[in-house]
Amino acid sequence: MNSTPQPIIIARNVDKRFGSFYALRGVSASFSEGQVTAIVGPSGSGKSTFLRTLNRLETHDAGEIIIDGIELNDNLQHLDAIRREVGMVFQSFNLFSHLSILRNVALAPIRVRKMSRQDAEARAMALLERVGLKNQAHKYPVQLSGGQQQRVAIARALAMDPKVLLFDEPTSALDPEMVNEVLTVMRELAHTGITMLVVTHEMGFAREVADRVIFFDEGAILEDTTPQAFFSNPDHERAQAFLSQVRHGF
Amino acid sequence: MNWTKKYPGWTMFGAMAGLLFFLWGVAIPLSAAPAPIGPAAQQFTEGARITVWLTLISGSVGVVLGILAGIGKLSKFMPLRLLCDFYVWLIRGTPLLLQILFVWLAVPSIMPTSISLSDFACAAIALSLNIGAYNTECVRAGILAVPHGQVEAAKALGLTPLQTFLDVVLPQSLRVALPALANNMASLVKDSSLAYVISVVELTMVGYRVQAESFQPIPVFLTIAAIYLILTTAFTTLTAALEARLDVGQKR
Repeated sequence: MNSTPQPIIIARNVDKRFGSFYALRGVSASFSEGQVTAIVGPSGSGKSTFLRTLNRLETHDAGEIIIDGIELNDNLQHLDAIRREVGMVFQSFNLFSHLSILRNVALAPIRVRKMSRQDAEARAMALLERVGLKNQAHKYPVQLSGGQQQRVAIARALAMDPKVLLFDEPTSALDPEMVNEVLTVMRELAHTGITMLVVTHEMGFAREVADRVIFFDEGAILEDTTPQAFFSNPDHERAQAFLSQVRHGF
Repeated sequence: MNWTKKYPGWTMFGAMAGLLFFLWGVAIPLSAAPAPIGPAAQQFTEGARITVWLTLISGSVGVVLGILAGIGKLSKFMPLRLLCDFYVWLIRGTPLLLQILFVWLAVPSIMPTSISLSDFACAAIALSLNIGAYNTECVRAGILAVPHGQVEAAKALGLTPLQTFLDVVLPQSLRVALPALANNMASLVKDSSLAYVISVVELTMVGYRVQAESFQPIPVFLTIAAIYLILTTAFTTLTAALEARLDVGQKR
């Protein structure tokens, strides 16, 4: 028994360039199992890029990333193993538009986990019930509202039983009145012990649900602290300026 | 909302059944027509069957070729990309008539003598290669039209590149490519008439022979034109219904 939980994600000195532009400069952070981290910062600060390097939607140029003891590199077996453990929810939902809601959720367990179609669909149904969309199972994504589509996307990620869930601005593309239904599902998830990294502009959510807040600016981590400390008394001027810009409303 | 969109399954069934019924039964009304049509009714029917066979065979092979070459053109492997580019460049840059004559006259002279291709096979090969090149561009455009987020979502879920392609990219790209593929198919019904130059007895060849015997081109060619119109209508109805069938989950 370890008294301190083992980090499930370790990033050391991660660099990412797009041409001559440095999106990430020597980012180091580790995340322990069950932790809910809110990643905030101005647009273009590298927070989404950091999230996307963690499941190799972007390849990092330098440094190392270790997830659940497996190093993320060019080794395709490592990549397969990591992608099985790490789920992702996108800003623009990215549901498969040609498949029904039920098939969207069941596809990856059938193909990747080699589950039978019957089992996968039964599980998909249970997950859809959990996000409150059981009665929409046979519709197509385009027939659902943005909030409903994002809840399906969460169910689709959960269907792979991931240890880690990455959320890339999950509520930024939603109409204001749909934000809450998605945050409610995420709030429930946060209490299940799954490791969550949430890039978000929802400061209320970050403050209330997150165990930890990371503030990005110009490709580097400027603050890494508790929500209480971050929101009441950030160390850096840049973070104070950011907070004063977004503070209205909470 | 029209009938085809509402009941695509029934429309496809109806178009196929109608086509079969037409090919089976068209001799009956034709034989009741006055000369020069009536006595040649059986020839017209045979010609229509050959035209439909030629279209179906080269159409199916052409779709497979189009998908393979369309993927090849987007491949990261340069020799494959060059090969597919060369294929499309060659076929689109030369006349179909020349391609048919080439397969019929030139290919046998470079093939071992033990292999002999029938006239019909030569026509089918040339037409398949021709429509395949045009389909390639449609399929390529369809693949490029699939939003990148779809691929990212599939990757993030752990699907392999092949699974991502077969489960996510291909179905969505065919949905985009289908109207253009259907258009090529309708052209193929008519392009198959060029097979007459290598003595395949298809519909146009039948018309040419019958008018040469009867010296009455007007009724003969009007009959041929009517049969072509019925065939192309059946094919376009079929593809329109298929399009409606694949059109699930689309924004309008």
